[in-house]
Amino acid sequence: MTYQWNFQPLLENADVLLQGAFGTLRLFAICAVAGLLLGLLVGLARSSPRRWLAWPARGFVEFFRNTPVLVQILWFFFALPILLPFEISPLAAAALGISLNSAAFTAEIVRGGIASIDRGQWEAARALGMSGAQAMRRIVLPQALRRMLPALTNRGIEIFKMTTLASAVAYVELLQQGKLLASLNFNPIETYTVIAAIFFLCLFPLVQATYALERRLGRGDH
Amino acid sequence: MHRWDFGPVWANAELLLLGLWHTLQVTGTALAFGVPLGLALALMRLSPRRAWRWPAGLVIEVFRTTPPLVQLFWFFFALPILIKVEMTPFVASALTFSIQSAAFFAEVFRGGIVSVERGQWEAARALGMDHRQTLRRVVLPQAVKRMLPAFLERAIELMKTTTLVATVSYADLLFQANEVAQKTFRPLEVFTVAALIYFVVIFGASQVAQVFERRLAVSGEGMQR
Repeated sequence: MTYQWNFQPLLENADVLLQGAFGTLRLFAICAVAGLLLGLLVGLARSSPRRWLAWPARGFVEFFRNTPVLVQILWFFFALPILLPFEISPLAAAALGISLNSAAFTAEIVRGGIASIDRGQWEAARALGMSGAQAMRRIVLPQALRRMLPALTNRGIEIFKMTTLASAVAYVELLQQGKLLASLNFNPIETYTVIAAIFFLCLFPLVQATYALERRLGRGDH
Repeated sequence: MHRWDFGPVWANAELLLLGLWHTLQVTGTALAFGVPLGLALALMRLSPRRAWRWPAGLVIEVFRTTPPLVQLFWFFFALPILIKVEMTPFVASALTFSIQSAAFFAEVFRGGIVSVERGQWEAARALGMDHRQTLRRVVLPQAVKRMLPAFLERAIELMKTTTLVATVSYADLLFQANEVAQKTFRPLEVFTVAALIYFVVIFGASQVAQVFERRLAVSGEGMQR
């Protein structure tokens, strides 16, 4: 006998999934903004000739790149509150873990992007009388950001996938709601298939867009 | 102020080490199956035949664009009902990460193969080799060297991703840490030590990977950027 697929219970509980989708989007928005901005700052610090800026940035990057993000989330959720006088919500723990992890990876993208800009650009800017900061802001960073774009959209996609880890601390997002529905309705097959399909449909166009971007930049100024 | 006390962590060091061993086991198993499967997927995707290309592309895209945790839940909670076979957390985890890493390895292999100049193919053809011979004797040996950095990076990524198996109660390092934390009421110390163990192992692995990468760069065989 083959399995009889039945999506009825899921349709009836669409509001539960919708609530989860809202939670996923909220966490994604927080982590994408915080992760990318913090990553830009850390990446700039890492590229700085000043050691007191570059070294702590390097330590941050190495630590967060070389530990699993789920360990970070659980650390922020279970361990950090002991050092603090207040509780950490599941949203805060997940947002901290994912944002800091993404910031570390983004920082490496930023550093690579800046390093890829020809030295001549720096020298020309200095010759025009710009300071180091001005050369960075007006000349180097705009060119570097363009080259970093595919890697950054890739980061965004990774962040979107990472939001599911928040279910480990019971934050209400899509997978968490899926777990709830699957155990209520005894239909893990349909539920997890639908959850996977939702993620695929959201991310597949983004992945294709990233490929297209890579091809376009590949033809460009390199 | 919290008073740090690592005594309870030391007392349970054996449990944590057992967890680390399980982490390495699931990573090793996923690599053992994922690498050959990834090569097969890459070759299918590069095949001149559509009937090969299309399914490989589907597997690769689905496993690369859905969250690994969703895949794990699907394999652990849904698949056993569908095929009526009981699955232990280890089997479900190994299966998920074998296929998932295969999808990523396939792209590494494909990148490596594509990076080999067209001239190499044409020369091999001119010498009378067929598609398969060209691949095995000429293209793959060159491609594998160039792929090594990307390959090592992926393997390290895989080890980090295996922490997800803790959510289906496979007793990896993270799961054991959680158990010990609950038993000893010392989550701060236990999770900090667990994070440090992961850091030492993964940072060590990535340093080794960098040495390889530099050697390849020196010998001029690294992947061109």
